[in-house]
Amino acid sequence: MKQFSLNWRALFSVCAIALAALPFWGNDYHVTVAVNVCVTLIMTLSLNLVVGHSGQFHLSHVAFFGTAAYASAILSKDFGLSPWLCLIGSMVVTSSLAALIGGPVTRLQGLYLAVATLAFSMLVEVLVKQGGSITGGGYGIQQIPPLYIGSTKVVGKLYYSLALVSLGLTLLLLRNLLKSPFGREIIAVRDHPDGAEASGINPAAIRLLVLVIAAALVAVGGWLHTFYHLILNPELLNPEWTFVWFFMVLVGGIGDNFGVILGTLLLSLIPEFFGFAAGQTIFGIGVLMIVVTLFAPRGLGGLIGGISRGIGVGRNVV
Amino acid sequence: MNSLAQVVISGLQVGSIYGLMALSFYVIISATGILNFAQGEWMMIAGVLGLSLLGLGVPYPIAVLGSVAGATVLALLSEILIIGPLQRRKASAAITLLALFGIMLVARYGTGILHGRLEDPLPGPAGSHVFMLGHDVFIFSQSLVIYGSTVVIFSGVALFFRRTWLGRSLRVAAIDPLGASLVGVDLNKVRLAAFGIGGLIAAITAWLYAPLYAVGYMTGMIPGIKGFIALFIGGLGNPMGPLVGGLLLGIIEVAASRYLPSIYAQAVAFVLLMLVLFVRPSGLLSGHSST
Repeated sequence: MKQFSLNWRALFSVCAIALAALPFWGNDYHVTVAVNVCVTLIMTLSLNLVVGHSGQFHLSHVAFFGTAAYASAILSKDFGLSPWLCLIGSMVVTSSLAALIGGPVTRLQGLYLAVATLAFSMLVEVLVKQGGSITGGGYGIQQIPPLYIGSTKVVGKLYYSLALVSLGLTLLLLRNLLKSPFGREIIAVRDHPDGAEASGINPAAIRLLVLVIAAALVAVGGWLHTFYHLILNPELLNPEWTFVWFFMVLVGGIGDNFGVILGTLLLSLIPEFFGFAAGQTIFGIGVLMIVVTLFAPRGLGGLIGGISRGIGVGRNVV
Repeated sequence: MNSLAQVVISGLQVGSIYGLMALSFYVIISATGILNFAQGEWMMIAGVLGLSLLGLGVPYPIAVLGSVAGATVLALLSEILIIGPLQRRKASAAITLLALFGIMLVARYGTGILHGRLEDPLPGPAGSHVFMLGHDVFIFSQSLVIYGSTVVIFSGVALFFRRTWLGRSLRVAAIDPLGASLVGVDLNKVRLAAFGIGGLIAAITAWLYAPLYAVGYMTGMIPGIKGFIALFIGGLGNPMGPLVGGLLLGIIEVAASRYLPSIYAQAVAFVLLMLVLFVRPSGLLSGHSST
């Protein structure tokens, strides 16, 4: 069984790399979809760190994304900061916000944690939409200065390469983080907080640190979004996005980064193939949420495992 | 002084709506532990159904009954088809939350696809009169309907919890689910009843809320959000928690929108909720302040 799932993963990795190369032969639309998928992957992978690996039921992910995107835009446009340095600026702002909210929030558990973080997400949305001349209110921000390498404007396929590198670094960082002693402490705090505390680990500090690290990764996604599109729409702060990303995490299989990539790719690309309008897409996501939670609650990974066990593939391999 | 009177009159009107929505959440969460996001959508659907029935020339009382019944049946179906099977399988809180969110999206955007994007007000049961109380204080006839209905519904729910067998089953399931099932309370029936009563309260609220505002596929969102904020401000320990939370939130919001710039008025509900959760997570009306 283990052998089988390992091969399946290798096959999937090859397919994912081939898929990632495709947009280089595509048109502008394909590149835009590909950059958006990279940003969404950074969101779902960082959300999986908080919800899956660390077991904290936070519903404020989109607030960090919006903060990162708006911080990048405001720092470059209003403060004249170099768009490259905006990455660091946006990481500092977003992580500080996570540290600020994470302190009081990590004391809450279960439903109360979910409700408090959802309220925080709605508060950030209201503040941005009502932010007047700073955030552009309901109109958002336009004419954000683009990225340059030397005198070459970073757009299109060059930008997609940047997005791929960012995604690759995110994956590498998460992989190393989870294999490190700190990663084992994260899992220990999730699975057995009292036991972890008895072994000299401070669960509150670990949870807070996970949130700050995830916020820094989210900042990379927000920064990528801002300097690709060069306009910001306050609708990107809609709290529904956190649920959609959470669903992508769940479809793939919570706590498993391979599954998260698979779930994100499927749910981001299917609406693009069929060309649904926004209202229909979100209706379809709602239907899928119900179907998946009813019939495949362990995600696609669990579903495939179940099917292969059912037809006896797993037993033969072991 | 007059503006203060107006703040109280309008605040009680908005607050009653928030309180009723909070009560519809409360009936479900107290008996089952489930925070049903879709409550605002049942309210919205009752309003949209009412508009459609009135548009077809159905007499007013039948349109009210038909739309309330229709939305309540949808709330019951969501429990029978989706939430019930998940709870019997002991699905995790995260899975249940996503299923509830899916139901909310399907209800909201499904109505958007079927009904379109138009928003119209429903005619109120007491017409749209305005009474002047002094030279710059006024009250809508609909506000009186809202105050009266709020008193009747909260008293009715309190009596139901105290005097009926089903109401007592809901209370005992809230206190100790295992003990309740041992003494013969069927938790599946309790859950179904809770979803039905919650849906019914939300559907009735549509006819109180919509005459002063409007009905369309997006109009369930704000009352739904404010309802659960009012619920957590008041606390989950006591059926009067939703009323206190709703009225408090309504008056503070109206006062903030009158005396403060709009950014504060819109943010005040979320700030208030976070403060209550940080300082006293079990709500203002609870006996103790533990998590």
